[in-house]
Amino acid sequence: MNSSDIKKLIIDSLDAGKESEGISGKLENEGISYDFRNGFTDRILDKVFTVSPAIIREIEFTRRFSTVFYRIAITGVAAIILLLISIYFMEGTLSVNSFLGITDSFDESTICLLTGK
Amino acid sequence: MTESYRQTDESELIKASIGGDKEAFGELVNRYRKMVARTVKGMLGDSVYSEDIGQEVFIKLFYSLSEFRGEAKLSTYIQKIAVNLTLNEIKRRKRFSSMFSQKGDDEMHEFDVADVDNEEKRDAKELVNKALMKLDPKFRIIVTMRMLQGYSTKETAEILELPLGTVLSRLSRAQEQLKEILDNL
Repeated sequence: MNSSDIKKLIIDSLDAGKESEGISGKLENEGISYDFRNGFTDRILDKVFTVSPAIIREIEFTRRFSTVFYRIAITGVAAIILLLISIYFMEGTLSVNSFLGITDSFDESTICLLTGK
Repeated sequence: MTESYRQTDESELIKASIGGDKEAFGELVNRYRKMVARTVKGMLGDSVYSEDIGQEVFIKLFYSLSEFRGEAKLSTYIQKIAVNLTLNEIKRRKRFSSMFSQKGDDEMHEFDVADVDNEEKRDAKELVNKALMKLDPKFRIIVTMRMLQGYSTKETAEILELPLGTVLSRLSRAQEQLKEILDNL
């Protein structure tokens, strides 16, 4: 296959309507194939399976920590939502006063309470 | 080395790999190394640096195998890892070249076509490599998925996590850009 045929094949492979699987196979037959160097698999296996126990513990810790963190975060968000709902039903509003629990008190009595006079 | 696992079902290989079976994971690497090479080398050039990214893909796969739920095909899962790591590497190179070098993106790639014995085939591979490297990375990834991997537009959209419409429009623009590039090569 000459270079103009290959160019045509490359352009054809990008036609949305065309099945590109066959074209990629043809290109592979023309030498346009890729692979890693010899010993690639062995190098990966050496890296993966000769990791020191300290690194394995670190990875395990990070994985467990993130799981626990998400669980705590979700529980926290759920607790806040429940608190907001209960405040709304008890006080009928979500104002700052209702959060502080002072919707029913008068300003004067709050001042007396805080200043002691 | 992985002779005993040649006929083994993929899900069995995954289970064994999670359990720390070196040979089972080796078989998974052998099954998918060419697919990963097409993505990584198609995107970064057929250079020695692509080998590092290829290794990173499988190391990442090993540590995330326990999270693989089997909802998608393993090939799609690996392909997503390869695409993400490759795009990160392109971003890193861009940052590096803008900070320390005046070289353009396409000048940062080294080609290695020494593995192709036939001269005609070597020329063809060089032609494809050069054309790919001249493409904008966002088009290059689409071309790699279609031309080298042979994925359909739907599969490409799924792997790249892009809407189908975006893939179709990028595909047509990539085709135009590639025509222009190939005419000048």
